[in-house]
Amino acid sequence: MSYQAKGLQAWLLQRLTGVFMALYILYVLGVVLFSENLNYQQWRDWLSHPLMNTATGLFFLTLAYHAWVGMRDIVIDYISHDALRLLVLTLISLFLISSGLYLLKILFSLTLTV
Amino acid sequence: MHSSVHSAVRSTKSRPKNLNLLSVRFPLSAVMSVGHRAAGILLFLALPWFLYLLQLSLSSESGFLQVKNDLNSIWLKMLILIFIWALAHHFIAGIRYFLLDLDIGIERQMAQKSALLVMILGVLVTVIVAFFLF
Repeated sequence: MSYQAKGLQAWLLQRLTGVFMALYILYVLGVVLFSENLNYQQWRDWLSHPLMNTATGLFFLTLAYHAWVGMRDIVIDYISHDALRLLVLTLISLFLISSGLYLLKILFSLTLTV
Repeated sequence: MHSSVHSAVRSTKSRPKNLNLLSVRFPLSAVMSVGHRAAGILLFLALPWFLYLLQLSLSSESGFLQVKNDLNSIWLKMLILIFIWALAHHFIAGIRYFLLDLDIGIERQMAQKSALLVMILGVLVTVIVAFFLF
């Protein structure tokens, strides 16, 4: 089945996405922790900046891939019943896709409004 | 890479099954690994909530203040702390795996020590954040 691990590719991408997410998380935490009394306008302006907006979208893409590989590996390890495994994997992918669309909506709401 | 180990695993057609988890010894690295997985699942499940908070905080000034205010409640602070632990543990354990991939700290004793270190650091980060949150 197509959801099965493509060994090396999944292994490598799991690490590359991990590195990107680590950098993004450290940056965001750094900004949020060290900017005193962050107000709404600053928060919104920061995330509306094209670079930050794009980085956040990219962050979710890498997160979705990372989470998919991780969750899939766990499901393959612990759920051996074929139909149940497929059902759970389908639910996980739907969960990630709808979360992605939700984030897309949030990001677009920042850039498309006046 | 340890190709000999991989091919040895692949060549056994019937893989061993240990259905009774109590029959398996759990070294520190295994406990840490279970924590890595559990933390990953926690972060996965929390995703909609994080997105909801992000959406609310960006929707309007009052939404932003509502998020700030909500996160001041003791229950949400405890929930946040759980996710802080999950993120810290997952993050630090990930760095350890990364180093292991580069053959750094691959020796058994070293790997057990670094597994313990990961668990301690995960908790330590959580305690430090708790100190600032409460």
